[in-house]
Amino acid sequence: MDNQSIMIHSWPRAVLHLDADAFFASCEQALHPELRGKPVVTGKERGIVAAASYEAKARGVKRGMSLYEVRRVCPEIIVLPSDYETYSLFSLRMFGILRRFSPDVEEYSIDEAFVDLTGLRRHFHGSYETIARTIQETVESELGLTVSIGLSITKVLAKIGSRHAKPRGLTVIPGRDIHRYLQDLPVDKIWGIGPNTAAFLRKFGVATALQFARKDERFIASHLSKPYREIWHELNGRSVYPVVTDAKTSYQSISKAKTFTPPSRDATFVFAQLAKNLENACIKARRYHIAATRLIVFLRTQEFRNTGVEITLSRPTSYPADLFRALREGFQYLYEPRSSYRQTGVVLAGLVPERETQYTLFDDHAKIDKMSRIYRAIDTLSEKFGKYMVHHAASLPTKRQAQHEGERGDIPARTEDLFKGENRRQRLGIPVLNIGV
Amino acid sequence: MPVSEKSDALRERIRTIAAFYHRKGRMPSFSEIAEMTGMRSKNAVYKLVNRLERMKVLERDEKGRLIASSIAAPVKLLGTVEAGFPSPAEEELVDTLSLDDLLINNPDATFLLKVSGDSMSEAGILPGDMVLVERGVEPKNGDIVIAEVDGEWTMKYIKKRGEGVVLVPANSRYQPIRPKKELTIAGVVTAVVRKYR
Repeated sequence: MDNQSIMIHSWPRAVLHLDADAFFASCEQALHPELRGKPVVTGKERGIVAAASYEAKARGVKRGMSLYEVRRVCPEIIVLPSDYETYSLFSLRMFGILRRFSPDVEEYSIDEAFVDLTGLRRHFHGSYETIARTIQETVESELGLTVSIGLSITKVLAKIGSRHAKPRGLTVIPGRDIHRYLQDLPVDKIWGIGPNTAAFLRKFGVATALQFARKDERFIASHLSKPYREIWHELNGRSVYPVVTDAKTSYQSISKAKTFTPPSRDATFVFAQLAKNLENACIKARRYHIAATRLIVFLRTQEFRNTGVEITLSRPTSYPADLFRALREGFQYLYEPRSSYRQTGVVLAGLVPERETQYTLFDDHAKIDKMSRIYRAIDTLSEKFGKYMVHHAASLPTKRQAQHEGERGDIPARTEDLFKGENRRQRLGIPVLNIGV
Repeated sequence: MPVSEKSDALRERIRTIAAFYHRKGRMPSFSEIAEMTGMRSKNAVYKLVNRLERMKVLERDEKGRLIASSIAAPVKLLGTVEAGFPSPAEEELVDTLSLDDLLINNPDATFLLKVSGDSMSEAGILPGDMVLVERGVEPKNGDIVIAEVDGEWTMKYIKKRGEGVVLVPANSRYQPIRPKKELTIAGVVTAVVRKYR
């Protein structure tokens, strides 16, 4: 039965998943030719690996490793501070290139996208595989990045394809070949199936993706919830998940977290870090005209122990002044004077459109109105003069030291070496090649 | 209010909203429209929006947020406004290039580079200048390229000579380079930018 095709049709739809190879590290190698072919990691400012080049991975470096450990397994490692501005520019360009091929592009994350290519064969005078190959070559020749591509008939299968061969892989899974790719794939390697569901499925003798796909509908319907039923359909070549093309305008939640070095046990300083995160999150909420109904506060100790608390708010808001009391309560609940903290974060959750805000009987309308005018003024000032031109006194202590003191305080070269007319807040939206000529 | 004045006011409002849309890349909220146009009540804005919707200047999505229709392409708009000739200035402006459009052929493939050496000084490219480099294009004879020759990076004219190529500097103090082993072209220089103040 393993040899039996799941589908007869090869291309009822054509969905492509693109995954950039070691994205952040590759961006650095694209701009610094002297780094090509060398083990490179980014994340210097965090003290842990954010991304590792393939050369570094080959020497045993993994994401999330501490830099101390990295230097132990790979003494010749090159460690760079993250330059998210540049990575975002590369990301936008990658999506831009994809849109030359199809208008249906889903920006799944900074380094991943889905593209619906259905019906485009005639337009490009070639097979779906040829289109996929052209996409891969264009990204490489114009951006200097290698990407891995999976091409199949559903999103779940396309994603299996892009993981199948990396880096610079191109895996094509037409309908009649699905079973070949599912045969040896452990069920927990399927996008959307976690260790718990995998353990559950193993109890019914389902260990591989193919065994899962071959289970009959009655079993699936009676044992699994909707998301897993959808994955089951997708594995069987019946497309359930559309490629969602609209740009991200609505958010489930907004989170802002920042690490600082050295860790601190100074309550005022740690709270100031939290306050700054809150201000940041609120700026983003106001930009998208949304307000939060819940606030989550979390702290991470030097030993990477996390504690968090969720607070329900009396009315939706996107103004820090409204939230400081809740923030302080959350902080006092979590903070232990004997611990040293290395990271703080806030999450604004339960987001609703700003206009739907309902006032309760006890709210002081005049005060809220005043507050909204103040923040509008602050936002206008920020737009004109840059972020943090005006901020709350509570976050002032963050200025006592750089976000990262000592060696980790390295900041990306791009923010230092400016062109005439650029400043530390605003630079040209074009990546800079670091070649001395 | 006479008809022409009334439609002038309407046009001004459309222009204000269009300017917002082009500046921010999104449509304004009702309160932002009120603020921009000096209207005092949301109801007045609501009426304006209804009118513009009938004129197909903008639309509303299922949640009532505004979506740009013809406002995004001002050319179409000129025909639908009730009175007066479109101002010639407005029509002419539709077909202009920005400096970005002029200097950049393919925005996805263009990178900046800060010049440090003086080997192209006689071509008007000086240390500290910003050059725009386009990747992924085939260099033509006489283009200025960023190239790696036998392990060294350089910016030179590329000249095809018979079978091979020569990299020619624009400074008499430097010699032309004939690649011995390897030649990699990182990109072609499409423009040089120098800002004075």
